[in-house]
Amino acid sequence: MLSRFLDHLEEWLIAFLMGAATFVIFLAVLHRFLAGVPLLQDWMVRINVSWAQELCIYMFVWMAKFGAAYGVRHGTHVGVDVLVRALSPSKAKVMVLVGLAGGAIFTAIIGTLGARFVWENGFHYALYHALGIAGPDLFEGPTSPDLEVPTWIPYACVPLGSYLMCFRFLQVGWAFITTGQLPHHNHGHVEGLEEDVTDQVASPAQEARA
Amino acid sequence: MNTLIIFSLLVVLMLTGMPISIALGLTVLSFLFTMTTVPIESVALKLFTGIEKFEIMAIPFFILAGNFLTSGGVAKRMIRFATTMVGHYYGGLGLAGVLACAMFAAISGSSVATVVAVGSIILPEMLKQGYPKKFSAGVITTSGALGILFPPSINLVIFSIATSGMSATGPNGEPVSTASVGQLFLAGVVPGLCLSVLLGITTWYRARKYDYPRMPRASWGERWTAFREAFWGLLLIVVVIGGIYSGIFTPTEAAAIAAVYAFVIAVFVYKDMKLVAVPKVLRNAAAMSSMLLYIITNAVLFSFLMTSEQIPQAMAAWMTSQGFGLVVFLLLVNIILLAAGNFMDPSAIVLIMAPILYPVATKLGVDPVHLGILMAVNMEVGLCHPPVGLNLYVASGITKMGITELTVAVWPWLLTMIGFLVVVTYWPPLSLWLPHLLMK
Repeated sequence: MLSRFLDHLEEWLIAFLMGAATFVIFLAVLHRFLAGVPLLQDWMVRINVSWAQELCIYMFVWMAKFGAAYGVRHGTHVGVDVLVRALSPSKAKVMVLVGLAGGAIFTAIIGTLGARFVWENGFHYALYHALGIAGPDLFEGPTSPDLEVPTWIPYACVPLGSYLMCFRFLQVGWAFITTGQLPHHNHGHVEGLEEDVTDQVASPAQEARA
Repeated sequence: MNTLIIFSLLVVLMLTGMPISIALGLTVLSFLFTMTTVPIESVALKLFTGIEKFEIMAIPFFILAGNFLTSGGVAKRMIRFATTMVGHYYGGLGLAGVLACAMFAAISGSSVATVVAVGSIILPEMLKQGYPKKFSAGVITTSGALGILFPPSINLVIFSIATSGMSATGPNGEPVSTASVGQLFLAGVVPGLCLSVLLGITTWYRARKYDYPRMPRASWGERWTAFREAFWGLLLIVVVIGGIYSGIFTPTEAAAIAAVYAFVIAVFVYKDMKLVAVPKVLRNAAAMSSMLLYIITNAVLFSFLMTSEQIPQAMAAWMTSQGFGLVVFLLLVNIILLAAGNFMDPSAIVLIMAPILYPVATKLGVDPVHLGILMAVNMEVGLCHPPVGLNLYVASGITKMGITELTVAVWPWLLTMIGFLVVVTYWPPLSLWLPHLLMK
C-alpha cells in the first residue's frame, strides 16, 4: 500500500517536473519576446522572470535524482554486460547481485553525506527555529541567488533521492533473489507502429542491467 | 601508478554489469577514501552542483522533444517524402531508407528508435518489392546512426558539457576556448550530409550492380504533398539551428522551445498523439534524462578526480615526450574510441573520454570543435560495428537475423563509414568550414 503510493508519487513527480520546467522556460522566452513589442512593453517589464533559469535547474536536478530511482525500478540505467553475458547463469547471478549491492552501497553513502550536508547548511537551523529550541550559534545557511530560498531545500533532493534509490536497489535485488527477474527497459520503443515488433529486441546493455 | 589504479578499478566495477554511473561514482569514492586527503564531504555537494548548470538542461529538453516525435506516424511521413524524392533511382526504396533514417534520426535524437521505427515500416515493404533481406537490413542498421551528427544532437551537447570549463592550452601555451553547442551543431551539418550521401552512393552502387528494383518517378505534385506532411517535423531542426545561430535563444532555451514545438506538432498538427498520452511521454523522457543526468553527475565527479590527480596533463606530457605527432595521436584516439564502442553507450564514452582526450588534443593543435565531430563520427561507427553495436542488436530483433549474419550484411556500409571516419579525422576543414564561415 505504502509502496504503491511511493511508486505513483515517484512517477507523477518526475513527469510533473519535466513538464513544468519546459513550461517555465517557454514562458520566460515568450516574456522576452513580448517585452520587445511596443504595446506590451511597459506591462512586461514589470514582471520579473530572472528566477526562471534557477527554478528550471532545481526542478531538473530533483527530477534527475528521483528519475534515477525510478530508473532502477524500471531498468533504464545502462551498464556494461559483456562479461555477465559470457558467464554461466550461476556465476552471472552472483555478478548481478554484486552490481546491485554496489549500487545500494554507493547510494547509501551519498545519501548520508548529502543528509549531513543539508543538516549542517540550514536544516538544523530551520528545524530548531521552527520548534523554537534554537541555540544562539546555529549556522543559518546560504540562500540561492535568484529565488532566495535557503539552499538546503533544493539540496535536500540528494539525500531523499539517494535513499530512495538505495531502497530501489535493495528492492530489485530482493526480487532478483526470489524470482530471478530483473527489470527490463526497452530503449527502442516507438509509439504508433502496427505491431509491437520491439518486444523481443534484446540489446546488449539490457539483459543484465541493474 | 594512480592512473592505473583508477582505471583498473573502474573497469573491474563496470564488468560486474552495474550501471556505468554507479561504477564511476564508486571508483571516485574508493579512491578518495583510501588514497587521498580530499575531504569526502565535497563529493556530496558535487553531486548537486555537478549538474547545476543551465547548459546541461538542454539535454532533458531535447530528449522530450525527440520523444514527442518518436512515433510510427512521423516515421511514415519521412519515408513517404523520401520515397517520392529518390524512389526512382536504382535501389529506390533503399535510398529512401537512408534519407528517411537521416531525417527521423535528426528529429527523434535516438538511433535505436530510428532503426526500429523506420526499419519496421520499410523492411517489409523492401522484401515485398524483392530486395534481399541482407541488403535491406544493412541499409537501415547503418543509416539509423546518422542522427548523431545532425542538430539537435544530444551527443554533441554532451561533448560540449564534458569539456566546458576546462582550461586547456594550445601547442604554444596559448589558452584554447572550448567548443560551444552552437558551433558543434553547425559543424555537424556538413559531415552529416556527406555521410548520408556516401551511404546513399553505396546503396545505389550495389543496387545497380545487382539490378534491384526501382520505383516509378513521383510527380512534382506528389513530392509537394509529401513534403508538406514531413515539413512540420523537419522544421524542428530549422528552429533549433536558426534560433541558436541568429542569437534569439541560448541552446537550452532552443531545446525548451523545441520541446514545446514538438508537443504542438505531435498533438495538434500530426494528431499522432492524444492529450492523455502526454503524461506518459513526459515520464519516459524524464526517466531517460535522469539516467543521462545521473551518468553526467558521476562523470563530473570522475573528471574532478582526474583533474585533481593531474592525469590528462601527465598523459599529454607523456604523448609529447614520446614524440607522437598529431597523426599518431588521432589514430590512437580512433582506435580507443572504436574499442570502447564495443562495451559502452555513446554518451558514457563521450563523458569519460572527452575530458581526458581534450587537453592532449589541444596541446597537439586539434581544434576542440573538430575533436567533438570526430568523436561523434566514431560513436556512429561504434553503433554499427560488431560484435556489440547497439544498432546491430536492435536490427537483429526486427529482422529476425542473427548478429553474425547481420555483421556480414552491414559490411559495405560499415566500410564506407570507416573510410569517412578517416577523412573526418585527417581533414579538419570538413567539420570546421561551416562554423568558421558563419560564426566568425
